[in-house]
Amino acid sequence: AEYTAKIGHLESPQQSRHVHLEKVAKLVSERTGGAVEFQIFPQGQLGSQREMNEGVQLGILQATVAPAAFLGGFNPVVSVLDIPFLLPDDDADAQKIRDGAFGKAVCASFESRGVTCVDLWPNGKKNFTSNHPITSLDDFAGQKFRVMDSNILIEQFNALGASAIALPFGELYTSLQTGVVDGEENPLDTIQRMKFYEVQKHLVLSSHGAMEDVILFNTAWWDSLPEEYQTIITDAFQEVIPDLIAHKAESVAAALEEIKASGIDVRDMSAEEKAAFREKMYPAGRAAYVERAGKEGEDLIAIYEQEYAAATK
Amino acid sequence: MLLLLLVIAVAVLLLVLGFEMFLVLGVPAIMIKEFFYGTLPDPVIAQKILGGINHTTLLAIPFFIFAAELMGEGQIARRLTALIKAFVGHLHAGMGYTTIGGSMAFGSVSGSAPATVAAMARMVYPEMRSVGFNEKFSLGLVVASAETALLIPPSITFIIYGWMTGTSVAKLFVGGLAVGVVLGLAFAVMARIEAHRAGVTPGPRANWRERVKAVRDAVWALGMPVIILGGIYSGFFTPTEAAAVSVAYAIFVEWVVFRELTLNKLFAITERAAISTAIIFILLAMGGLLSFFITLAQVPTSITGFLNAIDAGPITFLLIVNVCFLIAGMFLDPNSALLILIPPLYPVAQALGVDPVHFGMIVTLNISIGMITPPFGLDIFVASSTLQKPVTAIISGVWPFILTNLIVLAVITYVPDISTFLPKLVFG
Amino acid sequence: MFLPNGVRMKILAFIRTAERTAVVVVFLTMVLLFCLNVLARQIGGTFASQFAWVEEAVRLMSLFLTFLAVGLALDRGRHAGIHTWRDGIAEATGLPLRRIIDAVGLLFCLYLIWLSYQMTAFVFGTGQRSPTLNIPVFWIYLAPTIGFALMGLRFALSFLGLIDRFSGQTREVE
Ligand code: NA
Ligand code: NA
Repeated sequence: AEYTAKIGHLESPQQSRHVHLEKVAKLVSERTGGAVEFQIFPQGQLGSQREMNEGVQLGILQATVAPAAFLGGFNPVVSVLDIPFLLPDDDADAQKIRDGAFGKAVCASFESRGVTCVDLWPNGKKNFTSNHPITSLDDFAGQKFRVMDSNILIEQFNALGASAIALPFGELYTSLQTGVVDGEENPLDTIQRMKFYEVQKHLVLSSHGAMEDVILFNTAWWDSLPEEYQTIITDAFQEVIPDLIAHKAESVAAALEEIKASGIDVRDMSAEEKAAFREKMYPAGRAAYVERAGKEGEDLIAIYEQEYAAATK
Repeated sequence: MLLLLLVIAVAVLLLVLGFEMFLVLGVPAIMIKEFFYGTLPDPVIAQKILGGINHTTLLAIPFFIFAAELMGEGQIARRLTALIKAFVGHLHAGMGYTTIGGSMAFGSVSGSAPATVAAMARMVYPEMRSVGFNEKFSLGLVVASAETALLIPPSITFIIYGWMTGTSVAKLFVGGLAVGVVLGLAFAVMARIEAHRAGVTPGPRANWRERVKAVRDAVWALGMPVIILGGIYSGFFTPTEAAAVSVAYAIFVEWVVFRELTLNKLFAITERAAISTAIIFILLAMGGLLSFFITLAQVPTSITGFLNAIDAGPITFLLIVNVCFLIAGMFLDPNSALLILIPPLYPVAQALGVDPVHFGMIVTLNISIGMITPPFGLDIFVASSTLQKPVTAIISGVWPFILTNLIVLAVITYVPDISTFLPKLVFG
Repeated sequence: MFLPNGVRMKILAFIRTAERTAVVVVFLTMVLLFCLNVLARQIGGTFASQFAWVEEAVRLMSLFLTFLAVGLALDRGRHAGIHTWRDGIAEATGLPLRRIIDAVGLLFCLYLIWLSYQMTAFVFGTGQRSPTLNIPVFWIYLAPTIGFALMGLRFALSFLGLIDRFSGQTREVE
């Protein structure tokens, strides 16, 4: 191939992200007549997400598909995606926001950081699990939840009166088992793959946190491509999104079935309840975000709130 | 191919000529970078070196080394071993059993074989020598017993395996307990045979008054395992945090209760533990660099191609698995070995109908054997630097244990029930 | 190296003291922070959330712990290696093996100082910050830059015959 891109990401080969990266690779290779080849390295084989981000900036690898939550370090603006209840429940409404001015603005914020953002990919939504009842807002107070390293996620739990505990992902299973923490938040397919349901008693389908993937290319490599190839790649990433959403929905459904079969308490969160949670958690996340992302963040939040109002009207 | 042979030749040459191990790993790694990945920006080398040690779960290693130094230098280790002697000192292989049991308990919580070697070696090695075990056997037993760390739960190795393959972590933990105990028993048999062969002189059987006194003397020292194990299993802290808490507890007991620790001593002990940490971490760092290049070389893809080409039956396949992991275990940390080797091997295991829990046991046992296999077994170097013994002495002590290990591995591999019996019993 | 002997020894002694003090302070602080974290979690509530940065901080400190101690380890002959045959081979072949090792070690360290420095400068330039501590990420790459400098210094001094880093190595007698 004339152009080869090493692409790294953190998920395992059976998960939606990897499956669809392979699809994109195939499309791109076909449509460029084999001129552009994607080599995909799953499961953090090429390093932690921070190392991969730096790698893309430096040209060690050509692209990464990164959860937004791991990008706040080198682009605080993108942390907007960590704010709880950011995207509407309805997939079509959410995609409107992703495709619209907000999504474009998020992508554009990477320009000044030496990488090229090609698109945002949906990657499911987080739900809460715990060993203590989580039947109402008040239940969360005093419980300990594990969070990813992110200020906004810490604030989201503080808003509920819960403790946000930073723990490495690899230690989470044992920590839930022994009670170092009471609960955690993850998409259902992660809860199933990591077997967290084996060591949790309650699951509430809150869909409170969007897991958005950002597709980042090394700018020098991207610019070296003929414009025609750039278009082919961008289109391929865009084109598979409906498949990606369907694939994710399927694995989430399968995961839910396995989780339910294990006999743990599973509860749906009603629309009213979600509204009440949003009212508590969104402002806290928003404030933490603006504090970190400054003027750029305020501008983006303004765009977001307009788009959200329009999409959910 | 010629270039690759050159790289290997250089590595062997540096090793034999007595270069520091980090150079033995680092210089060839730089050659690989220049020969095969010339277009990659050079700073990637610095990034991957740091990446090899920038993991929270590795923190158990420095903390447990620190705690072991404190206990070994002060009273805790002495009182604990006196206590154990009061109960098993009259048995021929009593001290050998103590080493094995201690490593299993310690390895259980630390989850790290190098940390277990570092911590146990300082405490039990002198005792083993003092009852008459010879140097080689004592060194070998200390190093080999630590392998149980990866098998006996909690174990991050199993959690990662579970994530990669979708296997129940709870079942893996229970299976690992069974396999870990089998391994421990095998070593206990060796200790028993060796004790008779070497004519180890058992002490007199302590009477109950002496035993009560030993318990009383060891009350504060016993706080150590009680706090670590109790704290972890009751959810006060994670195994990594337990390591730090054990340091604080050791400082408290040695300083306030036994009143032997002075500021000067604490300074010296801390410094020694830091140096031991550095020796291990610089090797892990170089391992991080090497595993990056192995990944880039798309070794997994080659393995898949090879397996497809030979269309192996279950027995040949499991043999290939052994070879792959034994080689990987030589210079990769367990997690990197899993990341690189599970993707090509697991689908084949599934196609051949190998039970996922069983396969997890085979893989983990393989990795742990790799950590004590010369020339690059990390645990060998950890023992060498914590006990200040020549690497060659440790290697000659470790051989019989590797043989035993391979026998256990064969048994575990070809008798799946050992791995799956307990999980089935517990989870149906 | 071109200084009078006394001054040189004083400088070296100062570096050693600085390294030793630094590793001791860093290590004890790591212990303290983790213990505080455990305590804070027992207190719970949003108070515990305030300690979310501890994990990141201790990990960062472990990098400095390692790289501040690698030079001391070299100084005392504590780095792992198979030293059994070295001096025998040197005698048999007449090769100055110890000096060759020092030279290779020095070159290796110089190269890694350069690479680590480049990485530090690059990440400094990107302005990347850490997620919970919110400090610039380039700090982590400063650790190997310092570490390889400290080791390079020892290799150089040993090459020039100004320090004896070999006598601390385990004597290869059974
Ligand atoms: Na363990
Ligand atoms: Na090995």
